[in-house]
Amino acid sequence: MNRLTLLTGIIVASIISLTLSSPVHAAGGDYRRGLEKSQVCQSCHGRTGNESLQPSYPRLAGQHKDYLVHALKSYRDGSRQNAVMAGFAGSLSDQDIADLAAWYSRQKGLQDLKVD
Amino acid sequence: MIAFAPLDSSAQGDPERGKVVAYTCTGCHGIPFYKNIYPTYSVPKLGGQNQEYLISALKAYREGTRRHATMQAQAATLSDQDILDVTAYFVSIGENES
Repeated sequence: MNRLTLLTGIIVASIISLTLSSPVHAAGGDYRRGLEKSQVCQSCHGRTGNESLQPSYPRLAGQHKDYLVHALKSYRDGSRQNAVMAGFAGSLSDQDIADLAAWYSRQKGLQDLKVD
Repeated sequence: MIAFAPLDSSAQGDPERGKVVAYTCTGCHGIPFYKNIYPTYSVPKLGGQNQEYLISALKAYREGTRRHATMQAQAATLSDQDILDVTAYFVSIGENES
């Protein structure tokens, strides 16, 4: 095996390795960890985010991931005020927020408005 | 097209009129992945959202208890009836798809 082939092999292996591991370590969040961490959320929003306990609670399923991150961080820093959500969001790390947003955003649910 | 299925909450409103009220909303919420500029994030999807949540959100913007410059300005132009109708329209989008 010549050096070029070896080098190419190493590069390809690295790319495959990075691709396979990215869902776990991505800054975008790990939806599987999000599901694990969502036990408390589920009691009001449901497992997929479609099963709101009360109609005054929003559906989360299918919502944009970066909007969910923004909402949770806003509750955490107090710029968005809600007594219930402030309590929950206050205990979340940035990674927790990314993971939870990854879980709820990948569920089927909310839709964009249509422009006729 | 639009089914008038009875809502299980007390909120109502006219989705046909709401669609007219919603024309301005679609300038941001009708464009997939449209971004809020600063901080940068996608504007939320509203289709199929729970009506009572949407009503409370719009009233909070109107009263200034929830802050966002564009949304506060938009909500300030809405009457209670406008809010009922426009949110009824948003809910109806989810019903039509499912």
